[in-house]
Amino acid sequence: MPVELRRADPGMGSLTDPAGAVQEDVGTSGPWCTVVWNDPVNLMSYVVFVLRRHFGYSRLVAEQLMMQVHEEGRAIVSRGSRERVETDVQAMHSFGLHATLERAGED
Amino acid sequence: MAHAFRRRPDGSLACRLDGEEKAIIAQVAQETADLIRADLGIDADPGFLQRAAESDDPLRRLEAEFAGRDAREPADSAVKRLFPAASEDPTLAGEFRRLGQQDLADGKLADLAQVMAIIDSAGPSHSEIVLDDAQAIALLRALNDVRIVLADRLDLQRDGDFDTVRMLQQIGERVEEASEPEGDQVGSDIVIAVYELLSWLQESLLRALD
Repeated sequence: MPVELRRADPGMGSLTDPAGAVQEDVGTSGPWCTVVWNDPVNLMSYVVFVLRRHFGYSRLVAEQLMMQVHEEGRAIVSRGSRERVETDVQAMHSFGLHATLERAGED
Repeated sequence: MAHAFRRRPDGSLACRLDGEEKAIIAQVAQETADLIRADLGIDADPGFLQRAAESDDPLRRLEAEFAGRDAREPADSAVKRLFPAASEDPTLAGEFRRLGQQDLADGKLADLAQVMAIIDSAGPSHSEIVLDDAQAIALLRALNDVRIVLADRLDLQRDGDFDTVRMLQQIGERVEEASEPEGDQVGSDIVIAVYELLSWLQESLLRALD
């Protein structure tokens, strides 16, 4: 399954493939992560658009992340250094998505 | 009545809006910008701090330095949604605000100003607005920010709340057949109608961009 992922890091658990057959994850491992939270305003199509545009995720990955936000209330959309994640959170805020940064492994 | 956005052969994005729709969009964009400025204490004149920083008066220079460094915590519930805390940890959230809030506000205000300029250049009557991709992104972001403010005023907290608001409105309309609508209800009817228009416009633009 050729899924285009920026900062892909083999060996991490996968959102796109929970069974772990494809060892790829959204973003790379890192001590910090960007969390996007559900809200009643943002259109599903808009969230997918933002994730594709900012992170360069494929439609499939962006749609899965959007559904995770919608159904579970939150999703980790990127991992990396604190600086990297701060940039991502700022970008999510610029699009009006509710995002926070967390130390990886908090949830 | 607005027509959906479509991609034209030259690559630009176009949509027809009537005069009333354009007036509404310009007005809510202006009100959102005013709300952000008022709540975060941002001077409408961006040259003000620059001039203060270059002043001969050392007190004014000091004032400008502090004003530039200060990132005021939003007080208004809608502005809180536009500028959310970036962490549950208050120290981390405060630091993030101090470093990034001004840039974030500048970006949002620039998007809103660009939307107002696009509407103005299209003229007051029924006409087509034509956007390049950069303008389309600015419009998407601005529409979203305005919708966040309207949603706050409608007290939308969870998925499905807007459907509930619409349902209550329809029940209210049936009840009102016997009595005159109250002032508050007329106000929220307008907010509901504007929210629906902007949601529809945003969805239509997303489809055209896809």
